[in-house]
Formats: sequence, structure tokens, C-alpha cells
Amino acid sequence: MLRRALRRLGAGIALIWLVATFTFLLVSAAPGDFATRLTDPRIPPAARERWRRDFGLDRPLPARYASWLAAAATGDLGSSWIYKQKVSSVLASVLPNTLLLTSLGLALELALGVALAIVQLRRPHGTGDRLITLATLTAYALPTFGVALGLVAVLSYRLHLLPPSHMLSLEGELAHGWARLPDLARHLVLPVVAIGVAGVGAVARYLRGSLLDERLEQYVLAARARGCSPRQALVRHALPNALLPLITMMGMSLPFLVSGSLVIEVVFSWPGMGQVMYNAALGRDLPLLLGGTIVATAAVVVGNLLADLAYAVADPRVRV
Amino acid sequence: MRSRAASSLPPTGSGAIGDNERGSEMRPDIRSTVALSSLLLLQGALACRQPVVPPPRPAPSAGLPLRGGQVIVATTADVTTFNEYQSTGEQGEADAIDLLFPTLMTEQPDYQLHPPSFAPRLATSWEFSSDNRTLTFHLRPEARWSDGVPVTADDVRFTFLAQKNPAVGSLGMEMKDFIKDVEVVDPHTVRFHFTRVYPYQLMDANDGHIVPSHAWGKVPFEKWRTTDFEKMMVTGGAFRLAAHTPQQTIVLDRDPTYWGSPRPYLDRVVLRVVPDLASQLAQLFAGQVNLVQAVSPQEADRVQADPDLRLVEFPSRMWGMVGWNNRRPFFEDRRVRRALSLGINRRSLVDTVFRGHAKLSSGPVLSSMWAFNHNLPQLPYDPDQAALLLAQAGWRDLNGDGILEHDGRSFAFDLLYPASNALRRQMALLIQADLARLGIKVRPVQMEFTSLIARTEAGDFDATIWVWVEGTRVDLTSEWSTPSPSQGSNNFIGYSNPDVDRLIAAAREEPDYSRAKVLLDRLQELIVADQPATFLYESTMLVATSRQLRGADINSAALFFNVDEWYWER
Repeated sequence: MLRRALRRLGAGIALIWLVATFTFLLVSAAPGDFATRLTDPRIPPAARERWRRDFGLDRPLPARYASWLAAAATGDLGSSWIYKQKVSSVLASVLPNTLLLTSLGLALELALGVALAIVQLRRPHGTGDRLITLATLTAYALPTFGVALGLVAVLSYRLHLLPPSHMLSLEGELAHGWARLPDLARHLVLPVVAIGVAGVGAVARYLRGSLLDERLEQYVLAARARGCSPRQALVRHALPNALLPLITMMGMSLPFLVSGSLVIEVVFSWPGMGQVMYNAALGRDLPLLLGGTIVATAAVVVGNLLADLAYAVADPRVRV
Repeated sequence: MRSRAASSLPPTGSGAIGDNERGSEMRPDIRSTVALSSLLLLQGALACRQPVVPPPRPAPSAGLPLRGGQVIVATTADVTTFNEYQSTGEQGEADAIDLLFPTLMTEQPDYQLHPPSFAPRLATSWEFSSDNRTLTFHLRPEARWSDGVPVTADDVRFTFLAQKNPAVGSLGMEMKDFIKDVEVVDPHTVRFHFTRVYPYQLMDANDGHIVPSHAWGKVPFEKWRTTDFEKMMVTGGAFRLAAHTPQQTIVLDRDPTYWGSPRPYLDRVVLRVVPDLASQLAQLFAGQVNLVQAVSPQEADRVQADPDLRLVEFPSRMWGMVGWNNRRPFFEDRRVRRALSLGINRRSLVDTVFRGHAKLSSGPVLSSMWAFNHNLPQLPYDPDQAALLLAQAGWRDLNGDGILEHDGRSFAFDLLYPASNALRRQMALLIQADLARLGIKVRPVQMEFTSLIARTEAGDFDATIWVWVEGTRVDLTSEWSTPSPSQGSNNFIGYSNPDVDRLIAAAREEPDYSRAKVLLDRLQELIVADQPATFLYESTMLVATSRQLRGADINSAALFFNVDEWYWER
């Protein structure tokens, strides 16, 4: 067991190293560097060259890679060129915001998906089932920014029910402690719904399919024969088994949990990973890009591990 | 001061001279200056560099201004540092820094008739020595940092040392090249020693905000790059930093101990980060923000129609061109470049894309500058003349495919423009259509912005729709002099004309602005005759504010140019 755990850990670290190296090479190969954007008639062109030297961009690629790797191996991800802070503190300042938003979004997606699938299975192929299928498929097909902008247009600007953007209102930001909580909750509603709506279609469709299969299994029929109502047979007996594939699906969603959604963050002015990484990519902020990549890759590794563990717990036939 | 708005890294593709036409590049900050003051300059004397007393502030029009209140300004990107000497000069950052730290003087946006003059700020007066190599500033004795410590000549000298220190790596380091030293005469007198006499001495001395030596001097210059100066914020402006939530909000409160006059009416200025420009406008309409800095021309009518809003329009310092790669065989011949300019319906392009909110550009100097040559001929739209010039240059459609050929090559090339910039995509398509009529095949290619600059910088392009944001110092060296590999250059299009090089050097050294004007007039004629680029447009800035916000003189100098006079109408 210990050997197996160590092997998984080793494989995870190797994967992170591979992805980071690949990112390093890709970003270095991309045209332009951090100093490129200093192109401005008001800045002496000499300043641009000076910056290249100062950030070590004039050094050969292997040398730059070696010094980055040596530092990263000791846990030092360096300083972000754009934000002039430690990469770790930049990531630490935005990661919680992203996690809060995406985990609530995924939770909503899951809960709503499961609920819809159960409602649909009351009368499969009936009018309700078809309507819900149509609705979830439409939601799935809609572009995220469309959903987000639509929600803002109606609920914020027309009905004035919810704030259109940011994590806190101005008053909320100046408040302290628990007083912020209701304000935060109000600001969370729209982006969480936007994330949830986009994903609910997939969950509902997936679950409906597997529930339809499970429903005809012997053990469900046996449960019915023992006197369970159709609803009890579905929820208590068929559902746990039908949920198994969703564990994999959720495990695969972990990178999204960490990297966030650029579209949602831009529309809702949400201070998360998506925007920071997007800026880092545009500005060729190599240390920050690599730091973000490492966190996202680690999330993939952990996500897979958690999914496998969850599978093992849910299905005793599976061994981790 | 110098401005560096054009090189920024904000989200949603705004920023540098290319991403988002109406993004932060549309808030040019105007600080490059020619250091000659106006009054005596008109007499054409070198000894003209004297302080200029600004006109008394006009009385507000609608009754007495109300004290208090806050203004919420939408901005596309957060501030990454409040230390100007770590900054890459993003516009929002420069605006915030300008509210928090003092400069010696304030540059005035009066560059239409003469180089901009300066008004007192931290310095109450200044004078040059008889040989013009020494410039002495007299500082306000009552000036204080936010922690109560006096602002003194030591701070000015400390700031100079920071600006010059290679370890700090300030972008403006080269601005101080000709300043040998800054001498502390007494706590309220500071003297700049120059190594040479040149027209921009006052501007270069004024470049950069004064920072607190007693607070920031504790950090060795070698550690500035990795120091979070927000944790040691001691400010000396009309406002002080009250709160900063990363990527969300910067709250600046009026500093009750501010020493300058007049004191601001507003109690608070809030910079709210809203990366999406459409969301900024939506929040303005909903009253959640009070000021949007870059309204797109498409939205101008909607803003104007709203009774609660006011649209302020003024000439920006941004202008656009099609840069032809003068080194490539297609564009070597100036007859061809002229034909391309004649063959593009520039007037219609500017009217279509900007809906009347831009001017046709005619040459390398902005038409709002004193140095602009008003006799410059504006090239007309003349496809017949264009076809004639192309034929003279040897371009003919020999195989009847509708595309011109010369030496066995078809006249077909890529026109690069930044992705995520809708205005420039429209321009590219209009240019494609116009040139197709001449038998030239243009393929518009959109590129990620940093990649676009990198390719252009490397000379790896045929043509590009390019935008520059100019400072107020008229110096054509970096854009139009023959590129020098040793000094670097912004002349990516590879334009080279020895006469132009000579004149640029002479104009740069000429201390008398009326004599410089003669050289600059000739320069503009030469460059326009060569048409190294097709001059397209000078854009105007569209700033939207709440109608009840009064007193704001928002101009191309700075967003918060006269923030101390902003007030809410009763």
C-alpha cells in the first residue's frame, strides 16, 4: 500500500515537472517577451533593452531554465514580473476567490443536475422529461458569457435584485468581519448560477442515462418487489450506483475548480485565477505562468487521486 | 513628466498601443514635455524658463460647490504597484500614483501654441542659472507627508538617486541622463546640475513623483524590485490610500493634512476595477460608477441621450497609421507607398469606424501640438492617381487575374492587426476592399498583441495597423530616425531618409522653439512626401461622467488633472 502511494506521488511530481517544463518551453518560444510591451515612443528604446537584461531575458534558454528549476525545486517560484510580488503570494491572494466561486458553482451544478434527473425519471419520455431535456440541452449549448450577461441584464439592471459584479460592494469592502458575509452571498449568486447553469445539462443528461439503465437492473426490481415505492427504489437503490460515473466527472472538474473561468471572472469582475493567468499569458510573465501551471497540474493529480479514492469507497470492487 | 500609458498589461486586451482601441490606451497620459515656459518663449529667448503663474481658478458655475462625497471611477485593471519606479506605467496606475504623490510642478495642457508650461506644485518657484546649467527649485515649506514628516529637498534628492539607480530599474532612468546631480541647498531649496543645455531640462527635472526618503529609504535600492511598498505607504498627495482590495477596488480618501491648495472638495475617489468595457458602461447607466474613461464611438450617442450623463470629448494623443515595411520590396518605392495612401479612402474609413469621433491624420506630429505644420497637404482619395503611380513603378496586371504584378511577383501581402480590437478589424477590412480596387490583394491577419509587437519589432511583417500614443515632448527620433542597432528604435517600419535624420537631430537640440518649429515644419513635409506610412487618424477621447459631477476639467494631460475642483452639484 505504501509503495503504491509512493509510486503515485512520484508519478504526480514527474507530471508536474513535465508540464512545467513544457510550459516554460512553449512560453519562451512564443513571440515577444515581458519587455516587448514596453514599446512606446515616450520610453527610450534603450529602456526596453535594459529591462531585458534586468529580467535575465538575454540569457540563453538552458541557463534560464536551469536557474528557474533549481529555485522551484526548493519551493521558490520567484517573483511575478507584472505584480512585483512573490508568485506564491499572488496565487494565494486569488486562489481562495476562485475556489469559493467554482466549488459553489460545481455544487449547484451537481445538485441541480441530480434533482432534474430524478424528476425526469418519474415519467421517462413524458412531457416533463422532454421539456427538461430540451431546457438542459439549451443551457448546455448556450455560451457561458451569454448566460452571464443575460443574468446580469435581467436580474441586476432590470429588476435590481442582485449586484452585477465584484465580490463585495464598496460598503462591504470597507466593513469588517462577519458583516461582509451577507454582502458576499449576494455577490456570489449570479456568477455561481452562471457556472451552474452551464454545467447542469451535462450532469442531468449523464445521470438520466445511467438511471434509465439502472432502473431495469435486477436489484431495483427486487427492491420494488420488496415493497419500495418507485421513487424509493430510484433514489435509494438506483441512484447511488448511477452516481458512480459522476465521481470521475467531478474528479476531472478539479482543474476548473483551481484555474477558474476567465469569462465568468471578466463579466463579473471576479478577482480570480482566470484573470491573473490571462494577464500573465498576455504579458509573458513567465514566473507567474509557471506557478499557476504547477498549481493547476497539482490539482489534476490530486483530482485523479481523490476520484480514485472516492470510487474505492463507493464501489468496494475497485482497489486504489 | 513622461507618460507611459501605451505599454500596459491589463486584462481584456486593453493596454498597449494596439489591443483595445478604447481601452486603457485611450487614456493617454500626457506628461512628456518640452521644458520651455510660454511667456518669454514668445520672445524667443533662451532665458525664458521661468515659472508661470496659472490663471486663478474660475468660480464654479452653478452655485457654491458642495464639499464631500465620493466619485467612483471605473478602471480596466488594478494597480500592481504604488511605487512609480517599479511601475510599467499602466494608465490606471499612473493616475492613482498622481493622486498620492507630488511632483515638483504640474505640466499644463497648453501645448497647442507653444511647448507646455508648468504650474507650481511642490515647488513654489524655480529659476535657471545664467549659464542654464543649474536649475533651482524652491519648495513649499508647509509640505508634509501623510505621517506628518516634512517634504524636503532630501526627498527630491532621494527620488533622483532612486531614478538613476540601475538596481531600481526605473523606466524613466534615461530621462535623467543629462542631470549630473541633485544638490540639497537647504531643506526647502534643491538644485539640479545639468551636464548640458537643451530644451527639455525643465521637463526632465520634473519627471517622476517625489517619494518619501524617510520611509522608503529604509529599503536598499537593490531590494526595491521585490519589495511590497503598499505595506509602507507614506504619501504626499491630496489623497491617501485608504483601502486596496486586489483586482477589485482602490479607495483613496482626501488627506486632511494636505498642504497644497486648493484643497479637494471630494472626500473620496474610488477606482473600481471592471475589466469589461461593456460592463463599465452598463454600471455607469445604472449609477454604480460615476465615470467611465473610454467610451467607444459606437456608444457615444447612447451616453449623450441619457439625461443623467455627460460626455466629455477632447483630442487624445493617440494616432493610427498603416505602417508599410519600408525594407520589403513591395514598399521600397515611395511612389508605391504614396499610391497606397491615395488608394485608401481614409476620410470614409475614419468616419465609418469612429463615427465622427476622430480626426483625419496628415503627418507625424499631432495636429493638437504647437509643432504641427498647418500647411501640410492632406492627401486626397484618388484611386486614378494611385493606379497611375503604381503603373509608373512597374506594377501592372499582366496575366489578367485582377492582381498587379511586377518582376514576376503578385502584389499580395498580409496586413497585421491586434486581435480583440474590433475597430482595427473594421479598418483592416475597409483597407482590404479599397486596395482590391487597385489590384492589390490584402489579407487581414489578426494576432495576439505581444506577438504582433514582437513580429513588428523584428521587421517580420509587410504591413500593420499601428497606433502610437505620443507624449508632449516633440521628438521624432525614436519613430522616424533611421533605426540604430546600438540604441534601439521604435522605427519598426524601417524608414530611412538622411535628410530627415539630420533635421530630427537639429530640431531636438534647438532650444528656441520658434526656430525648432521651422525645422519641424520642414521635417513633416519631407516625411509626408515619403509616406513611409499611411497616416490614418487621430482619435478623440470620450469620457462619460455623471451629469451632477461638476468642475471636472478632464483633458489629455491627465484624468485627475484638476481633481481638487471636482464637486457634486447640490
